[in-house]
Amino acid sequence: MSHPVLHKVLNQHFWLHPHRALYWEEQKSLVLSDLHFGKTGHFRKAGIAVPQSVYKEDLQRLVGLIQHFKPMQVIAVGDLFHSHANLELELFKRWRLDFEHLPFHLVLGNHDILHEKIYHDMQLTLWQDQLHIGPFSFVHEEPATHPGGFTFSGHLHPGIRLQGLGKQSLRLPCFYFTQTTCILPAFSKFTGLAIVQPDACDKVFAIAENSVLPIQ
Amino acid sequence: MPGQRYLRLKCSCGALKLEPLNQTPGYKIIAAWLAAKDFRPFPFQEQTWQHILEGRSGLVNAPTGMGKTYSVFLGALIQFINAHPTNYQRKEKNGLQLIWITPLRALAKDIGRAMEEVIAELGMQWKVGIRNGDTSTSDRQKQKRQVPEVLIITPESLQLMLASKGYAEIFKTLRILAVDEWHELIGSKRGVQVELAISRILSLAPSIDNPGAKQPPEPDEKTVLHEVSHAFPQGKRSLSIWGISATIGNLDEAMEVLLRPLQGTPTAIVRAQANKQLEIASIIPDEMEKYPWAGHLGIKLAREVLPIIYSSRTTLIFINTRAMSEIWYQTLLNIAPDLAGAIALHHGSIEHELRNWVEEALHEGKLKAVVATASLDLGVDFRPVETVIQVGSPKGVARFLQRAGRSGHSPDAVSRIYFLPTHSLELVEAAALKAAAAESAIESRDPLVLCYDVLVQYLCTLAVSDGFLPDVIFKEIKTTYCFSEITREEFDELLLFITSGGNALNQYDEYHKVVVENGIYKITSRRVAMRHRMHIGTIVSDAMLRVKMLNGSFVGTIEEYFVSKLEPGDVFTFAGRQLELVHIKDMTVMVRKSNAKKGIVASFLGGRLPLSARLGALLRAKLDEAAEQVSEGILSEDRELQALFPLFELQHRLSHVPRSNELLIEQIETRDGFHLFVYPFEGRMVHEAMAAVLAYRISRTTPITFSIAMNDYGFELLSDQPIPVDDSNVQELFSLDNLMTDIQASVNATEMAKRKFRDIAVIGGLIFQGMPGEKKKARHLQASAGLLFNVFNEYEPSNVLLRQAYQEVFDQQMEEVRLRNMLERIQRSKIVLTFPDRLTPLCFPIKVDSMRENVSSEKLEDRVKKMQQQLEKL
Repeated sequence: MSHPVLHKVLNQHFWLHPHRALYWEEQKSLVLSDLHFGKTGHFRKAGIAVPQSVYKEDLQRLVGLIQHFKPMQVIAVGDLFHSHANLELELFKRWRLDFEHLPFHLVLGNHDILHEKIYHDMQLTLWQDQLHIGPFSFVHEEPATHPGGFTFSGHLHPGIRLQGLGKQSLRLPCFYFTQTTCILPAFSKFTGLAIVQPDACDKVFAIAENSVLPIQ
Repeated sequence: MPGQRYLRLKCSCGALKLEPLNQTPGYKIIAAWLAAKDFRPFPFQEQTWQHILEGRSGLVNAPTGMGKTYSVFLGALIQFINAHPTNYQRKEKNGLQLIWITPLRALAKDIGRAMEEVIAELGMQWKVGIRNGDTSTSDRQKQKRQVPEVLIITPESLQLMLASKGYAEIFKTLRILAVDEWHELIGSKRGVQVELAISRILSLAPSIDNPGAKQPPEPDEKTVLHEVSHAFPQGKRSLSIWGISATIGNLDEAMEVLLRPLQGTPTAIVRAQANKQLEIASIIPDEMEKYPWAGHLGIKLAREVLPIIYSSRTTLIFINTRAMSEIWYQTLLNIAPDLAGAIALHHGSIEHELRNWVEEALHEGKLKAVVATASLDLGVDFRPVETVIQVGSPKGVARFLQRAGRSGHSPDAVSRIYFLPTHSLELVEAAALKAAAAESAIESRDPLVLCYDVLVQYLCTLAVSDGFLPDVIFKEIKTTYCFSEITREEFDELLLFITSGGNALNQYDEYHKVVVENGIYKITSRRVAMRHRMHIGTIVSDAMLRVKMLNGSFVGTIEEYFVSKLEPGDVFTFAGRQLELVHIKDMTVMVRKSNAKKGIVASFLGGRLPLSARLGALLRAKLDEAAEQVSEGILSEDRELQALFPLFELQHRLSHVPRSNELLIEQIETRDGFHLFVYPFEGRMVHEAMAAVLAYRISRTTPITFSIAMNDYGFELLSDQPIPVDDSNVQELFSLDNLMTDIQASVNATEMAKRKFRDIAVIGGLIFQGMPGEKKKARHLQASAGLLFNVFNEYEPSNVLLRQAYQEVFDQQMEEVRLRNMLERIQRSKIVLTFPDRLTPLCFPIKVDSMRENVSSEKLEDRVKKMQQQLEKL
């Protein structure tokens, strides 16, 4: 059911997938943001009984995306991990072993506070502020616009509020494109939404269950 | 020394024989003290004393201003004097004798002061301690080192006591546990906290038949638990429980709920006879609006209030919401600048020192008027208050009468209350309230059952202090009303929840809360314990932010929900001041004073009470009169209904005025879409449920999306396509068949449960509100109740707290019983369907009401696509 939707930027092809990630066809790269792995474990360690199945399903979704697109590399634009190290990371490590040869880039986000050694053990390539590929840059927070370039970022957990007649209203996670930037939806389902107010020239793609719907 | 035995002479048959009250030394001393002040005890006070001396528990039913505090408090003193007739004045450090539970912090101070006065005048050495969220740590420590004889405490702080190590010791000497304002607590989760605490404290109290047997030297944890497990079986208890309650419809049930843990020991209900005169007057606008719009009429009438304020000593003006109270305060200051300094504002979010100041000033008669919310509903009397003004519907008869009772305090004085409508239709309610007052038709307060969230919190509380044995606690909680129906399986499920935290990926899980050591359930982590203690107080609250001036002075607390809509530089009205938002940091909103004339009024969630069933029925009866007035020209005797004649005349012309045996449904098309208005007059909660069911039933036959609005009179379904309701299907749409299944199927239950879940998640310990010194880490533990709800709903639908949220929706929110009664009534009624060509006076206030819910049978995708076509500007 889940068809990705094509969106072109600077003549490159980006496939927006309802599983909250995008695939860059020319570079065979899977790009995602705000995975917040270990968040359920962090809560549970503090005595807050959040079901761990959220995390399990997040990880399964990631596997599904990799099997579907067969990318040459994965780029996470920040907040791969939620907080300090915990047992849940072991599950991620095990997962990582299954895809040992897949390069995994992480542009560090504000939540990525683990010791460098841990990232190293998990064979993650770290980028402090940004990663550039051609005119495209990948950052975690607020992108600085530079002429002719285009920036992918995360951090915000963008959502869109849709309103119709009869005062109907819906809130959905979304991909949010301006002329020079794209803010990715948060990959983890254990995240809230920050509602964006797009300008007329912006493009918004909402994620409704298993579909990506161009809104404007 | 003639101790307890002075009162109890064993007969040969073994039964206890009691000396009459007035022969006891304690009574003589108290009576002499009263006589010296030229007082005589009321009969209900003497009856209470007698019951206390006989070791009975019970309930005192008395209105405020009748000396209800003295009924139980002086009883405790008499009991003590009787036990120590020769040295009662010298005896000090007697240990805790009396616990006085009060729902409001603000009351504690006044009650404590009154008690201390008596103690001092009797020359006794008793100490009175106050324990609540405002008590400083050093005072707490002092109270722990030397326990005062009287402890005035809130339900939360009592729980907190159960969370401190070795708590059992403190309660050993306790003779009376009094619960003040029980009518306020009984329908709430704080009432459940009280029930649980009573079940625990009762097991700790030594039995009279075997006094002194339970005094192990220096108990360590094991002995405490050992003792608990042998909780006093048959022996007569040395501890009695007393509730104090204003009149409610189910007073007997209220007593049963409170005293159920006593398991059949004799109880008594003591009623004070009070015949206070009541005068009710409506403020009727000179020009009657034919289209009533909720809210703003009230303010238009503000000028009418001035003569009332000027002509009485002190006036209390009750407003239903905190937001409106802010508006009223500002408006009064604007139209009567001479009142500056003589009027004040009082509501639950204002910083407590300011509130204290207002209360003091009220006592001293320094204020001409106070604009207040339910925050001033309870408690000690303010004698200078001569007049009360109720703005907008009080939603219930009991509340209205209680508020009226806040005026005219000397026994023969007349209570005077003015009703000021916020829209003209509310005048019908005024007429109904008058009728209700005449018949003293007062609502019941239904006790809550099976509040798992409170039980989870309670179990953790016991785990924090000395730990607990499940078998012992299970037996105890089964004696409470709230948990009398809990099964062992459900209890075990809760134990599992606090020890292993529901669904987990075993080998990758580090869930840590309650651990089991040698069968004892305890919390061993200091951090978890500390967090739990901090949470006990937050039994009902949204994420609250503190509001502070830049110079550091504290203004009050405000819902995050409101602040999140503001930008720095915005001006808002709060605590009677215009404040400019500077920035928000660490759960604190920094503000500075603003000279702007107008600000956004701070809004507050919750606090919107639905119309009670009783008032709803009276309202329908009054409407019947109104209908008669229009259709048959019989003029009503009510001034209110007479004044509304033009409005009903228009309603009649455009549509129909429903008789009490009719249900009116209006279908109207406007620019907004197609509206269906239905008027059952059953209160907003029942309407919300009925609207959801109706929307679901319609959408089963036609793919259609509605938004829903409701008020206490009726509800509205609004759609972008015609709504297929006509005489052919209308009966079925209101059928009782499959009601439960339809309720559960209506999407709305999820949305409602989501709102209920906010409180449950806080009480059940799922929401962490941060604690000092841990800010950075705490941020990684923040998740909104909405997000948690979505996660549980999707990944762990069997979760016990989630299930409770749905159950609360059915029981309380939808008031399923009331919903059923309503549908039965509708089945017997004639349904009148009209198609007015424009909005009618009855539907207008609903249209203005803003809360809307979505119900849809269309596929999400279709809906989004359709919405897109109609998108208003994003």
